[in-house]
Amino acid sequence: MSSPLYRIQGDHSRFREIVKGRIRRDLERFLSTGELIARCGEHAVSVPVPQIELPRFTFGSNEGGEGGEGEDGEEESKGGEGKEGQGSGAAGEQEGQHILEVDVDLGDLADMLGDALGLPNIEPRGTKQIESEASRYSGIRATGPDSLRHFRRSFKNAVKRTIASGAWDADDPRVVPIPDDFRYRSAKASRKPDSSAAVFHMMDVSGSMGREQKEAVRIQAFWIDTWLRRQYENLEVVYIVHDAAARVVDQHTFFHLRESGGTKISSAYELCLSEIAERFRPEDYNLYPFHYSDGDNWSARDTERCVALLQDELLPRVNQFCYSQVKSAHGSGQFKKDLDAAFEGVDEVVTHAVRSKDEIPDAIRSFLGSGR
Amino acid sequence: MGIKTTLPTELKYHALVIESKAREYGLDFFDVVFELLDARDVNGIAAYGGFPVRYPSWRFGMEFEKLQRGYSWGMSKIYELVINNDPTYAYLVRSNSLLEQKLVMAHVYGHADFFKNNVWFAGTERRMLDRMAYGATRVRRMIDQHGQEVVEKRLDDMLSLEGLIDPFVLRSHEGVREPQRSLSEHRGLRLENFGREAAAALPSRPGPQLPEADVLGYLVQEAPLADWERELLEIVRAEAYYFLPQRLTKVANEGWACYWHSKILTGGLLEASEIVDFADVHSGATAAAPGQFNPYRLGLRLFRYAESLGHDLFMLRRIHNDVSFIDALVDERFALEYHGAEEKDSLAAREQGFDWKAWKENLLTSLSFGGQPRITLVDRDAEGEGELVLEHRHDGRDLQLGQSRECVKRLASLWGAPVHLHTRLDDEPCTLIARGEEVEVRTEGGDDPQATAKAS
Repeated sequence: MSSPLYRIQGDHSRFREIVKGRIRRDLERFLSTGELIARCGEHAVSVPVPQIELPRFTFGSNEGGEGGEGEDGEEESKGGEGKEGQGSGAAGEQEGQHILEVDVDLGDLADMLGDALGLPNIEPRGTKQIESEASRYSGIRATGPDSLRHFRRSFKNAVKRTIASGAWDADDPRVVPIPDDFRYRSAKASRKPDSSAAVFHMMDVSGSMGREQKEAVRIQAFWIDTWLRRQYENLEVVYIVHDAAARVVDQHTFFHLRESGGTKISSAYELCLSEIAERFRPEDYNLYPFHYSDGDNWSARDTERCVALLQDELLPRVNQFCYSQVKSAHGSGQFKKDLDAAFEGVDEVVTHAVRSKDEIPDAIRSFLGSGR
Repeated sequence: MGIKTTLPTELKYHALVIESKAREYGLDFFDVVFELLDARDVNGIAAYGGFPVRYPSWRFGMEFEKLQRGYSWGMSKIYELVINNDPTYAYLVRSNSLLEQKLVMAHVYGHADFFKNNVWFAGTERRMLDRMAYGATRVRRMIDQHGQEVVEKRLDDMLSLEGLIDPFVLRSHEGVREPQRSLSEHRGLRLENFGREAAAALPSRPGPQLPEADVLGYLVQEAPLADWERELLEIVRAEAYYFLPQRLTKVANEGWACYWHSKILTGGLLEASEIVDFADVHSGATAAAPGQFNPYRLGLRLFRYAESLGHDLFMLRRIHNDVSFIDALVDERFALEYHGAEEKDSLAAREQGFDWKAWKENLLTSLSFGGQPRITLVDRDAEGEGELVLEHRHDGRDLQLGQSRECVKRLASLWGAPVHLHTRLDDEPCTLIARGEEVEVRTEGGDDPQATAKAS
């Protein structure tokens, strides 16, 4: 619709730009708390921003010290002033709205993440480019349905033929097309790099993984998904939990489950492998297994088995394998040491120890920073 | 400069009927132009304070976001929007029912009459729609020349100080302002003055008298601003003066409009089937929400009360602003009735501790000077630093310190020299001093030695 008010769009987007600037500024904080996860919709996150208001001479209480909050030339509002315009109707003189919710596109959020952490775009895996076909109407041919008739080309042909045949009369420039003149649009297939990926979030849910640890996992998984979703058109996420045995669960279960029992990490890797074999052929998908654990494994034997699985089966198929070790009260952290020892110098295996939530940004940076 | 939508015939018909009825009752207004718009567009216009075109600023975008959200969540919706202009423009929301449109139109004629006849509106710019559009073009040009960030920053600084104008200056005495120089003349002038001090380019006139409540006006004349900054400040100041009377007369203006929409519509313009809906919408607008001040309600009750006392309503709407209106009319009987009690209950009310005088005083305080702190410019260069000295007339309410600090800082950056603001905090004299980026809060406790220690 041609709205008479296109101008407000400009001011609106300027405002959103400013808001995004503030989110960018606060991104570190969002990165280490789960605040945004609950606010995530399908395409957008609703981010709470303190209302930006111009400071004014107003009455107000000054309790809580003389410190003054207006450091940045911006004030968190203390209740909106009545609107200037005359009579905004009976309902809706909103008073004292301190927080404004602003929808931010997930893609924009991912870009902010990329800027903040200096993440490179992901390069296509190996030399083999996965391609898919897409067709566009970019060609012309002599037959086709009327709905695809190319008027300008058809007319041009008719004019050319009329002139060539000597029937052209400049005073009476009438052109009558015959069926041979008609041209039609035709679809041409073009090849474009495919962009499907699958992420496997494998989480250790044995007794030693408490709420704190799961929260850290959850935050990492959220940001990793956000980033990868920006990089790939289709992103499938598989959630796997394991203690002594592994199973595939849905998202809700993944984040809320609490099991207790032993830990057999190889079970998760095996399940991940069978998922890859069944649903995500490496030829069609870019694969990203992530494993989160506090680093205690059942036995050294099982760790050996894990290393072997990674070495022989997983690594040849995936883009990158990431292991995030969340510190827990009881965890020994042995598994990371074992992995590091076994895969020294192997770029496709990235491990990171997260001792507190503040280190989550570092973990994300090291997982996604290689652009694989 | 309007948007120029066409009203459907049915609405046009009702507008005509209501207009002639309003004239019959003696209302007197400029032509009223109704525009029928979608809710989204009305939100856009409301974000601009009622104008289709204004200078670019993120604040309008934020306002729009708020309105849109309020609307899409079903929390608030705009019924009517009318601006003081000749002709008077009013916006109707397409999604409203026919009854609502009729009510809004009758309401708008009330406002239009008030705009034209109330003395506080006497000096206002009646071509504000054009003026706003012109200002918008100028600001856009500034942005092209100096960059968005720079202009935006300056604009924000100035808007923070918007309230520093004199509510009681009669703008009409400024009516003899010299006409705006045309662009080419302006250029010539600048060429002539090339290389001279910016201050010397100003025509020499007797320095403004102090004290001065119109701080913005003083800055326009005296502050060492670049040409474009001075023009920007003039735009901000003109808009502040334009909107000021609306703040000073909110109660009287809304009351007058409510009085008339009720009188006009119930005077025979409603179908029998519409009466209940009318009562519903009308009482929705004039209802008392607990803990909230509703100017529609207070204003309407005041006019009805004045009518019952036999006052000349047209005279009241001509001479009063909110403060004088309430001061003249509110007495014990009104206060009691307003709170839902009969006069014969006055003894009982008094026993229960209802103090109508305190209520009235409170009301007057909250409305005086448009609800803003009274800050005047009292001195300049008192300590030889070229500084500006302002004084806040303390009426028992402290300034919000955090915001005030930021405001004096912005004032100092416009003035280009330190700014002092005298006020009181917690019953003690206190001075905010802005020097560059620093703001010092100095308490002068007098005989209290603690205070000096606090300052250091």
